[in-house]
Amino acid sequence: MAEYWNISPGLEAKAKAFLSAKPEADVNLDFEIGVKDFVNAGKGSAEVKNVLKRLGVDPVVLRRIAVASYEAEINVTAHSNGGIMHSYVYADLVYIRFEDKGPGIADIEQAMVPGWSTADELVREMGFGAGLGLPNIQKNSDLLHIESVAGGSTTLEIIIYYA
Amino acid sequence: MAVTDKRYYHAIQIVPDNCTGCTSCVKVCPTEAIRVRNGKAHIDATRCVDCGECVAICRFHAILPKSDPLDIIHKFKYKVAILSSAYAGQFTEDIPYPTAKKALLELGFDEVAEEAFVTDFMISLIRDYIRQHREIRPILSSNCPAVVRLIQVKYPSLLPNLLHQEAPMSILTRFLREKYMAEKGLSDTDIGIFLIVPCVAHVTAVHQPEGAYKHLQDGAFSIGMIYGKIRERLRKMNDENPVIDTYEQGLTWALAGVEAEMVDTNDIRALSVNGMPNVLEILSKVEDHYLDQYDYIVLRSCTNGCVGGCLNVENPFVAMSRIKKLIKNASKQDIDVSELKSLYKEGEFDVVPLEPRSIMQLDQDIKQAIQKMKKLNEILVLLPGLNCSACGSPTCYALAEDIVSDKASIDDCVVLLKRHQKEED
Repeated sequence: MAEYWNISPGLEAKAKAFLSAKPEADVNLDFEIGVKDFVNAGKGSAEVKNVLKRLGVDPVVLRRIAVASYEAEINVTAHSNGGIMHSYVYADLVYIRFEDKGPGIADIEQAMVPGWSTADELVREMGFGAGLGLPNIQKNSDLLHIESVAGGSTTLEIIIYYA
Repeated sequence: MAVTDKRYYHAIQIVPDNCTGCTSCVKVCPTEAIRVRNGKAHIDATRCVDCGECVAICRFHAILPKSDPLDIIHKFKYKVAILSSAYAGQFTEDIPYPTAKKALLELGFDEVAEEAFVTDFMISLIRDYIRQHREIRPILSSNCPAVVRLIQVKYPSLLPNLLHQEAPMSILTRFLREKYMAEKGLSDTDIGIFLIVPCVAHVTAVHQPEGAYKHLQDGAFSIGMIYGKIRERLRKMNDENPVIDTYEQGLTWALAGVEAEMVDTNDIRALSVNGMPNVLEILSKVEDHYLDQYDYIVLRSCTNGCVGGCLNVENPFVAMSRIKKLIKNASKQDIDVSELKSLYKEGEFDVVPLEPRSIMQLDQDIKQAIQKMKKLNEILVLLPGLNCSACGSPTCYALAEDIVSDKASIDDCVVLLKRHQKEED
């Protein structure tokens, strides 16, 4: 199993404490992501965006959340055998966990390099696969955690604080 | 009067006596601003963006567009009409455009100017603005007042992306005011400038301009309202070769796709979007940074652009075809824009940074908002999910939202009521 962590400076203790406690969220949304389903991929993050607008989350933060969750959702549909997006909304942060059904990321460090991509022909034809997905997620989130089993499933977690 | 909240002017009015409570308008509203309560439609003035979708769909003449009565022009010494480019598409081809333009003078105006006059200048202004604001991508067009208000209401994170300069008819208004004051020795209050407009959003923008620093127009008349009067004059005029300047090559402004094509160049990539459902989808994608590869996006809420406005008389596709023909046959004109350029440099067309009109928030306090959201989700699972609008709210989600905001009750759901009745039988 391979693992990757990236946490914004100053937020390490707070974010890790959150992950180990994982308090029950008041609002959670689950969204199923199909294989190469570019028609529907993006709807999960659109729903999250709608909820956050109703909570009055700052517009700049809202766009960061929109980008990170949208990119991650596209990743699942483009590269995996399908999966689920679980979104948990709290009063101070949003925590989103993507779980897929494989086939796993062979080399996570390599996948984090901007421009590096394993996208196939179909994905590139759809206008994706520029190799900026994971770097963009990292850039826009306060915590990014990836856990992947070669040949098995991948879990990607992000946390973004509102302030 | 069924429009609440006096802070916002709207050029739409509900006639309760004609309203059947059919909910057609409720379903079509892009900001979910309309509810049917006690059998009549009501508009939430903070949410309404004056797009006119409800005016177009109502079959009962219960939602009427407002524009000004023509006789207000007589309050002014010098009366000027500015024509929206959509006007040129409203007449059959046996009526030459110069004649249709001249007929307006017969209605009592001293001068008729065309939006089309500033088109070339607008294109250079837009290109300059895009190049001056490299840090913002994409820049969003701001000439459609319904789009500007839609962004204020539903996509406030995109406000900095809006092109912060006046729309062409307002630019022309500032230019003409300066010109007539200088040339004719008139004072600002002597000059009455009026727009002939294709849509309710433009009427609203005249009465409540967003971000305007200066005195703009004094009234707005709908194309539909003056059309009958113009036809009457045309019959009497019998004028084969009217002597009047026209600017056919600039009529492109009425057509959504053409503006983008004109702005698009080596270093500027432009996208054109029109029709409300497309505008909503594209703005959501811009929010996700999915369209950052574009430098400029032209957004018009009506089909095909201003020719699709609900105050026009002609079908948007027919009007577009006629305008395209006029442009094709137009002779090349060199319009002196030096005066416009210097006004632009002086900041005459700048607008105040636009402010959001937040409607989405369930509560000012985020903790309260989350509790309401939790309750909303609990209510949502009880509702049938048919989105039938029979309760008077546009969707089951909107009803749940209305319930947590104490604006409706779960008993408003007709489907649940029927189910309960069956259980009791």
